[in-house]
Amino acid sequence: MHESARQPDPSLPSTRRRRLLAGFVGAYTATLVPWALAQPVKNGQHGAFLALSAIIAGRQSLDAGMAERIFKGLSAEQPGFADAAAALLKLVDERKIDPMHLQQTLDDEKSPLAPLPRKIATAWLLGVIGSGANARVVAYEHALNAQFVADVLKPPTYAYGPYGSWTRKPL
Amino acid sequence: MAESLNADYVVIGSGLIGSLTAMKLAQAGASVLILEAGPRYSRDQIVANFRNSPRRSDWMSPYPFSPWAPHPVYKPEDNGYLIQAGPYPYPAEYIRMVGGTTWHWAAHAWRNVPNDHRIHTLYGVGVDWPVSYDELEPFYQEAEEIMGVSGADNTGSPRKKPFPMEPVAEPYAMRRIRERLDPAYKVVTNTTARNSRPYDGRPACVGNNSCQPICPVDAQFNGGRAVAKAEAAGVKLVPNANVYKLESDAKGRVVAALYYDPNKGTHRVTGKTFIVAANGIESPRLLLLSSSDKFPKGLANARDMVGRHLMDHPSTSLTFDADEDVWLGRGPQSPSSINTMRDGDFRKEHAPYRLDFTNISRVDGATTALIAAGVYGAEFKRRLRYSAARELNVKTVLEVLPHPENRITLSAQKDGMGIPKPEAHYFIDEYTHKGAIRALDDFRRIAELMGGTNLRYTRDGEYANNQHICGTLSMGNDPATSVVDKWGRAHDHENLYMVGTGVIPTAGTCNSTENGLALALHTVHHILGGQSGGSASVQS
Repeated sequence: MHESARQPDPSLPSTRRRRLLAGFVGAYTATLVPWALAQPVKNGQHGAFLALSAIIAGRQSLDAGMAERIFKGLSAEQPGFADAAAALLKLVDERKIDPMHLQQTLDDEKSPLAPLPRKIATAWLLGVIGSGANARVVAYEHALNAQFVADVLKPPTYAYGPYGSWTRKPL
Repeated sequence: MAESLNADYVVIGSGLIGSLTAMKLAQAGASVLILEAGPRYSRDQIVANFRNSPRRSDWMSPYPFSPWAPHPVYKPEDNGYLIQAGPYPYPAEYIRMVGGTTWHWAAHAWRNVPNDHRIHTLYGVGVDWPVSYDELEPFYQEAEEIMGVSGADNTGSPRKKPFPMEPVAEPYAMRRIRERLDPAYKVVTNTTARNSRPYDGRPACVGNNSCQPICPVDAQFNGGRAVAKAEAAGVKLVPNANVYKLESDAKGRVVAALYYDPNKGTHRVTGKTFIVAANGIESPRLLLLSSSDKFPKGLANARDMVGRHLMDHPSTSLTFDADEDVWLGRGPQSPSSINTMRDGDFRKEHAPYRLDFTNISRVDGATTALIAAGVYGAEFKRRLRYSAARELNVKTVLEVLPHPENRITLSAQKDGMGIPKPEAHYFIDEYTHKGAIRALDDFRRIAELMGGTNLRYTRDGEYANNQHICGTLSMGNDPATSVVDKWGRAHDHENLYMVGTGVIPTAGTCNSTENGLALALHTVHHILGGQSGGSASVQS
């Protein structure tokens, strides 16, 4: 879906609007994900996860079904995940941490929240939750890394096109 | 013990070479039985497994692992099946399943260059083959017609008849590499068992870019297709039949194959002629396991040659960013290479090599690297697209000489069925290392011609393995230094043949399957010339 399609719908009643992501993020994080603010959320924890996901993935529009699968998957994998995500979002907001500096900052400070961004990134960008023998796939062709190049490349195993179509200049 | 099956020919292993050997024998009217340790699995299941695999770069991950027919697994953890005796690691990968390991291959189907057959005479290294290039030429052709091979004529291997198919259409990235490296390097389209047009009931390539681990449309030939052709010819295949011993009589003739089913029930299969086709590790393992009072060191091993001369093709590589967008990942995975260093007088001093350009999508690899580096937010997408568009990789495919110390033996450790595990003894010598050093000049020049930046070389002395397991059942005229004669028959056992890449005397610079298949067809030619076909059906 095009990102602009996620803008707040002014026709929604105010009670509905209060359950949009906008109601659950701080001032700084709101500037990082302005369009994502229109996404519907269930509650504060879900909202924090969604906001953090949008910041890390650099994507303003996140698929609701995939968000649900990833939230459930990461929550099952790590007890206290939702609280940790909320704490991380608060930290980002309070200290105005740029997404590009987030991991380095957490690593440098040996923060207990340091593993969190990579887990969220791996889930959205690679479609994988967990690690080692416990790793499992939540998305393949819909993983964001595939989506980010979808105008040029098909995910492996999907036919590129008729025989020889790959001889053309890609863009 | 159940004794239920008997055939003229009993083939152990259903990989591409074993299956096509069986097919040829069945087509001649013989009864042929294949015993395969692993299960039967469909292509569609493998494709689904790949898409659902959390380790898409681990090409073993979509394939089934069977406790009753174990194979090496390294991820997420090493299962310890192939014992590493060192000094250099040899983490070989292969699949024990109906169709074998060419379910996942890049379908490179190279012929040797003629001088590969005479490197001892010409260059004073390795050994000469007991079969000349000219003798093998018609069998190369037959192999290419069976598999459906497409290729160009300018790769250094002479031929008497044209390729069955024109070369596969060149991906844009490879075109740019070819254009920019010319005239310093001649970049050619690879010789592959991949369809450039519909062939033998299979479609032309449609660029799924997953040749490894699985071609979803069978545009490339594979072990699964080989099995289908064998069964269509009347071959009977028994899956989940893990042969653990060949029984022999006082004259040294093999009389039966004993196998375990998944419940460790024992079965005995009799036959007139036995053909071991269980790959370069499992075949010598089976021979070593088949010891008896008369043959205490195992079958075909009176001179302690079984398992020796293990070879593969180690690779070094360079990854860099080109100065233009080429977008690897469109079309087949391994389309082009440089073949000018496959032969020359330099072979007296260092290993020859091919230089292979990958066309594997960089998307997953770049994603993993960016996440590891903590690149998040909008910058992630920008950098991902940059890497996916610009990143190139070229690797060496280096020759390893046959050394008796490089070998497969039986380990003291046992697998889940109580059978000794295979143990690999491996080192990479100075000859190969010097070849890798020489190739650094090519890497640098290639990067320069492509406007390369961010050059990432593999570390000195660090080699990736190519899973071209060969040499452990060496073919030769001298029984003191080889396991089988020029026809693939064990020197001391008149009804025991071996086919597969294990019989290859020297590795050269070509991926081993076509060499193994051509030698197998040469063996079949001998068998059928020397014996009349038997009954047309398997007795049970």
